[in-house]
Amino acid sequence: MNALALRSLRHRPLAATATFLAVLLGTVLIGSFATLAESSSAASGTDADTLVILGAVVGGWGSMIVLFSVASTVGVTTHQRSGEIGLLRTVGATPRQARRLVVRETAAVTTVAAVLGALVASLTGHALFDMVRSGGLVSDATVYDAGPASVGAAALLVLLVAALATWVAARRATRGPAGVLLREAAAEQGRMRWWRVLAAVVLIGYGIAMAVITVAVTAHDDDPYAAMSTSGSSSILVGVGLAVLAPVLLRLLAAPAGLLVGRTGASGHLASYNTARRAHLLAGVLAPVLVLTSAAVGTLLLVDIDARTLPAGNPDSDTITLLNNVVVGMLSLFAAIMVVNAFVAAIAHRRDELQRLRLIGATPRQVERSVVAEAAIVAAIGVVLGTLAALTTVVPFAIARHEGAVPDGGLWLVPAVVAGVVALTLGAARTSVRAQSRARVVGR
Amino acid sequence: MTTPTHGASALAVHGLTRTYGSGDTTITALAGIDLDFRRGSFTAVMGPSGSGKSTFLSCAAGLDRPTAGRVLVGGEDVTDWDEDRRTRLRRERIGFVFQGFHLLPYLSAAQNVALPARLAGHRPDRAKVRHLLERVGLGDRTHHLPGSMSGGQQQRVAIARALVTEPEVVLADEPTGALDSATARQILGLLRSSVTEMGQTVVMVTHDPVAASYADEVVFLVDGRVAGRMTHPTADAVAGQMAHLDDLVVAR
Repeated sequence: MNALALRSLRHRPLAATATFLAVLLGTVLIGSFATLAESSSAASGTDADTLVILGAVVGGWGSMIVLFSVASTVGVTTHQRSGEIGLLRTVGATPRQARRLVVRETAAVTTVAAVLGALVASLTGHALFDMVRSGGLVSDATVYDAGPASVGAAALLVLLVAALATWVAARRATRGPAGVLLREAAAEQGRMRWWRVLAAVVLIGYGIAMAVITVAVTAHDDDPYAAMSTSGSSSILVGVGLAVLAPVLLRLLAAPAGLLVGRTGASGHLASYNTARRAHLLAGVLAPVLVLTSAAVGTLLLVDIDARTLPAGNPDSDTITLLNNVVVGMLSLFAAIMVVNAFVAAIAHRRDELQRLRLIGATPRQVERSVVAEAAIVAAIGVVLGTLAALTTVVPFAIARHEGAVPDGGLWLVPAVVAGVVALTLGAARTSVRAQSRARVVGR
Repeated sequence: MTTPTHGASALAVHGLTRTYGSGDTTITALAGIDLDFRRGSFTAVMGPSGSGKSTFLSCAAGLDRPTAGRVLVGGEDVTDWDEDRRTRLRRERIGFVFQGFHLLPYLSAAQNVALPARLAGHRPDRAKVRHLLERVGLGDRTHHLPGSMSGGQQQRVAIARALVTEPEVVLADEPTGALDSATARQILGLLRSSVTEMGQTVVMVTHDPVAASYADEVVFLVDGRVAGRMTHPTADAVAGQMAHLDDLVVAR
């Protein structure tokens, strides 16, 4: 089984790369913040508090996005193999054997990536600490004091989540009779499991509840940061919650969004039907686009409102602004890589189908345009939903800081983020389809 | 769409040669074949594995460039056309039927049939698409997706798609290779009737003597050369001839 797993891996370098990158970066991100939390045990008083807040709170929210991305990448790459798994089943592999193959294969990739990520994290963690100290957030007396425990724990956490996601996806792919699996892989119908809907409802409900608490309770608190601590995470919570529902949202919204690209041309025609009828394929792209938009818009406006409304001379202000910016920066980088990752994986999966289009007479340009049009549909849905999710942070916090439901300034940040996200999505689509559509057409 | 060019030849190849590699490792897939497919004829191209029949189809369709020789579609020399013109050629003047159906999974039967017209930038002729789907016996399935259809039904959609542009020639590559024999007979019957009733030209690569017996003529390829022809083929005669050709290959 192990030999088969390794051999099968070599035939799938692209999907393996996607998983590898997600786990590596995820471990680096979570591990870096974990070292701050570990260093806090040697620090004293307020320094310890600051480090714990940085490591646990900021790192905690980051972890949520990272773990979600890792799970969705692993899930997508496993789901893409349902056809092959069906084939294994028809030639006599038991569901258990097929599942073990997938789980071991992913385990091989994720273990290497997590170990490497832990090593990198011990370096970036140190760098993050230096930044925190030179920013004056902790006193010079406090030193970096993190061993392998924190980065190891981070690596283990990422590994566990990846293993769980693989197991769930592999289980779904191996359930049922072998013949049915083959047919379903061709039909490619994605269904939503009840636990996924439940997770989404809990996340969105929690995010909205925090927003309500902000307006009703913490807005009247004496500490100006009480409102931030309750509303700050809402945009991320609701964003991730919506991202969990991405396949359903895409299926429902692809038709109206398709009007944007137009259905009359051949490329727009293909794109709007592909996004609506095979929503689960592009849902992997929609999810990071949505989370990227909601996290960036929500947090950037939060920081902007904070800087504008805070009574002058508050010593915490710089710390919190810096922190928030670090989080937005790192998460944006991570989400950007996830968008590119998801697109490359989706296009690689569709190689045969794009080739088929060329065979029946589509020009390379038409193939490219249809994929870019799909990206446009996904980007449009992602930025609209992402911005809506961000409102759950922005509106309550603006009210708490007496600016009313609409912030007094910084609204230009919204179109700026939207433009950036759209450009990233279209760019990722264009680059990943180029290599494929320009390749020579072969028969069969 | 395109009005067929006048003349008796739908597809012709002259001295068609295709070699792969160079030097000592040169593999000759086609060693100069001359074939002419009359308009309104149904021809089966047969041969053992490695005889060059797939290479012949790729070159005829403009998917592969021949090393030497000419390819004429409707009397027009298309050998030196660039990729764009050859794409238009495939779209407007050649119909394809593949072993693996090659339908777009997210388009309904009717949308798949209308796709060549859309790619060509025309408004699809709904009545014609409907008529063709009825012709292949799928009038009640126009809105079904390929995933919910049987193999035989998918192949019938593919035949409707190949016929929709009224192409110079329909190229079929093992069209019944993935189907059971009863379904295969329906598919072959459809190809046959497109020739007899619609005046289409069909060139079919196959290794199945029963499939070949539906054709007007069988051309046998061995080692990249034309090794024989048979008019009014029967399955038994073709099978006998194929066994003989296999012996020739083994004896070498």
